[in-house]
Order: sequence, then structure tokens, then C-alpha cells
Amino acid sequence: MKKFFAFIGEVSCFGLKALWDALRPPFEWEFFVHEIEEIGWRSLPLVSAAGLALGIVLSLHTRSTLVRFGAEAMIPTLQSASFFNELGPLVTGLLVAGRVGAGIGAGIANMRVTEQIDAIESLSIDSFKMLVVTRIVACILILPMLTVFMDFSSLIGGFVAERFASHISLQLYLDRAFKTVEWANFIPPTLKTSAFGLIIGTVSGFFGYTTDEGSEGVQRAATNSVVLSSLLIILVDVILVKAIFFLFPRDAL
Amino acid sequence: MSEAAAVEFQHVSKTFGNRKVLDDVSFKVGDGEALCIMGRSGTGKSTTLKLMIGLLRPDSGKVCIGSEDIAHSEEEDLSRVRRHMGFLFQSAALLDSFTLGDNLALPLRRLDKSKSPAEIEQAVDETLERVGLDLDKAKMPSELSGGMRKRAGLARALVLHPKLLLVDEPSSGLDRITASEIDELLLKVKKEYNATLVIVTHDVRGARRVGDHIAVLDQGCLIGFGTAAELDKSDHEIVRRLIAES
Repeated sequence: MKKFFAFIGEVSCFGLKALWDALRPPFEWEFFVHEIEEIGWRSLPLVSAAGLALGIVLSLHTRSTLVRFGAEAMIPTLQSASFFNELGPLVTGLLVAGRVGAGIGAGIANMRVTEQIDAIESLSIDSFKMLVVTRIVACILILPMLTVFMDFSSLIGGFVAERFASHISLQLYLDRAFKTVEWANFIPPTLKTSAFGLIIGTVSGFFGYTTDEGSEGVQRAATNSVVLSSLLIILVDVILVKAIFFLFPRDAL
Repeated sequence: MSEAAAVEFQHVSKTFGNRKVLDDVSFKVGDGEALCIMGRSGTGKSTTLKLMIGLLRPDSGKVCIGSEDIAHSEEEDLSRVRRHMGFLFQSAALLDSFTLGDNLALPLRRLDKSKSPAEIEQAVDETLERVGLDLDKAKMPSELSGGMRKRAGLARALVLHPKLLLVDEPSSGLDRITASEIDELLLKVKKEYNATLVIVTHDVRGARRVGDHIAVLDQGCLIGFGTAAELDKSDHEIVRRLIAES
């Protein structure tokens, strides 16, 4: 237990140091832009495709249930409420943890074992800022944007499924979908994914940067990054949902 | 410490876990000299190099680069000292997501703010030409052969015109001809840049050719230090066996 808390403390200090370093010049713009492309742009197809598929699946499942109560008109509303409030942010976080977390963990660990990090340090360049801070900040900024793509892809998926089932028009579908959506349903859940980004960047960066076990360490860094990031995202999500309900009580109803 | 010393180890010890890798090691390298460090595998040779550039800190003792003790210096001071040093890693350690040209341009862009992009480009071209890789600037490290990677690593180490060049096993994994070419390059660098060289090597022929002095480490202790001719007459059997040419 003591070891576990020591580990959590180490990871937290690692993340705090990264956040502190992110505010101190020199800023690594070149590497930051590269990470935005790597983490954001390259995750977009995965997130959009997953959103589309989930939107279709959720629509199919809810239709079979709601039809029994004559409430199929609620499907778009249910779809938007589910995705904007919870499914979009959480699924985006988990997908990015899988794709990006493994990449960050393995990538930095590989640089460690092949002495590339030592080489960067030997050139008087702060490897922590260049490799870790840029990735963490990119994750923090990119996650909310990817979540928006996930949310809207799911609406498109839901519309496609509904269109086939009930020939609903796009206009009517969107009207129903956004009828009950307020900024408070959309902004806080979307922004909470920045915390997921912080978790993914910090955990993956930590496992990658601190590895010292050769090629086995690279593999372990990738696996641990995904497992711990995913677990923490789910746990932190519970806390953040509670916090959002506390700050915006109307959403809790 | 004498004024001529570019590098000086004073009673340096370093332990990893329960293993003492360096035990009270002291030596100095004069300005503009080449020192080759030899020894069996796992005797602390690469650790010695990493201590010299501050990638590791000793448990005790002083590591002086010029007049600065980097064993106890702040990160900022260490960074300043490193600007006059180059390090060729055993695996070359080129950044694998950068082209060869970008690998060389990186330290110039970061550390030499006075240079314009065109001047940086020119410095990269000149350095690559010096090591015979001027046609490979756009290649990724994965496209280079072992010998080319070594030369590319050397080019990156040289691009800032270091006063002290640290080289970790320049001939490992290379055929004798390519190893000899790398030795030639090191001799050229020493002469043209008037640089101090510290080279960790298993290649006796190369050590005798490039090194003004040879240091022999065994089980973390310095068991021999001197010119090749002096070490040929050493009382220590391991020293004689290690530097025997055949």
C-alpha cells in the first residue's frame, strides 16, 4: 500500500513539474505543433469512426426499447444527452488513452533505451520539456476538440440509423437532439476531458521517461501507460461528474 | 589542478545499487590530448564518459571540466559547460524522427541564436561534408548503415565545434576498414578543432593510433595510465593483455 501511494506521489509530482515547466520559457513550439498533429490530427479518424459507429449502435438499441412506450421521438434527445454528457467524453478519453498513451509511453521509453534522451541532454536541451511537457500540453488541449468530433459523429451516426428506421428529416432530428441541450450540458463535460488529457500525457510520459529496462521496458511502458491511464480516466470521471453536478445542479436532475 | 587539464577526475566513485562501478578513480587529460579508455565489459568505461558530460553524477569526488567541477554544479552551469562538449554515443543516438540534416540543425537552432537559418543550413552542410555524408542530409537515421550512423553521430557532436569530444566505442559493430575511417576522422577532428578527445574503445589498434594516453579500468579501478609504450611494460597482467595488439 505504501508503495502504491509512493508511486501515485511520484506520478503526481511528475505531472506538476510538467505543468510548471509548461509555463516557463523557452517554449518548445516546434515540438508542440508536431505533437498536436501526432496526437490530434492522427486520432481524428479513429475518434470520428468510433463516434459514428457508437451513434448507430446506441440509436438501434434505444429504438427497440422506446418503441414499446411510443417514445421513439425521444431518440435524438437521448442520443445527444448521452453523448454530450458522458459517452462522448469518456469514450474519447479511453480511445485516446489506447492510441496515444501507448504511443507516448513506447516512444519515450524507446528514446530512453536507445540513448536518444541522453543525446538531447548532452546537447544542453531540456529533454523533459521537449518530450514530456509538449505531449502533456498537447493532450490537454486536444482532448476537448476530439470530444466535440466524437459528439457530432455520434449524432450523424444516430441520424443515419433513424433515417433508415423512420425516415426522419435531418432538420427534425437536429431540432429534437438539441431541444434540451444547454451550454451547461455541453461545455463542462467537454472541458473535463482536459483532465483526461492530463492523465494520459502524465501517466504515459512518466512510464516512458523513467523506464530503464531495455526493450522489455519499452513494452512495459506501453502496456502500463494504457492500463493505468484508462483506469484513472474512469475513476476521475466519477469525481468530475459529481463535481459538475455540484456546480450545475440542474444537470443532475 | 594544472592549468592544462581539460578533464580531471579526482577520487571519483560511482555505485549502481550494490555494484561499485567506479572506485576512487583519478586521472587528468591535457588540453588538446586524446585519451583512450580501455577495459573489459562492465568495468565503468561508459559510466566514466557519462560522468564527464554530467549525464550521471558521482557519489563522491570531483569531475572537473576545465576549471568547473560539474559533479556539484547547478543544471544551468552544467548546460553552459556542455555547450563546449560533443558526445558520440555508442549507438550514435540520432533522433529517429528527424532527418540527418535536422539532427545536426537542432543544436545549432537551440544554442547558437546568432545564426540565421541560411547560416545554420550552411554549417550543417559543411559538417556533413566533413564526415562524408553530404549527400545523405535528407535521409532518416533508419536509412543509414552502421558506419554512416557513427559518422552522422560524430557530425552532430562536431556541429558546435566542441573543445572536448567524448566518444563511446566508435568502432563497435563496424568492420575494420570502416572503424579505421572513423579513427581517421577522429584524428582529423583533433587536429583541425584542436579538441581534447576522450574515447572509450575495445579496439587496441585504434587506441594506439588515436590516443596520446591510454587508461585501463578494471572492476571500477584505474589499473593503468600512460602511453601505449609505457603500458606495454606494465606489471599488471590485465593491462598488458588488454593492450596487446594481437
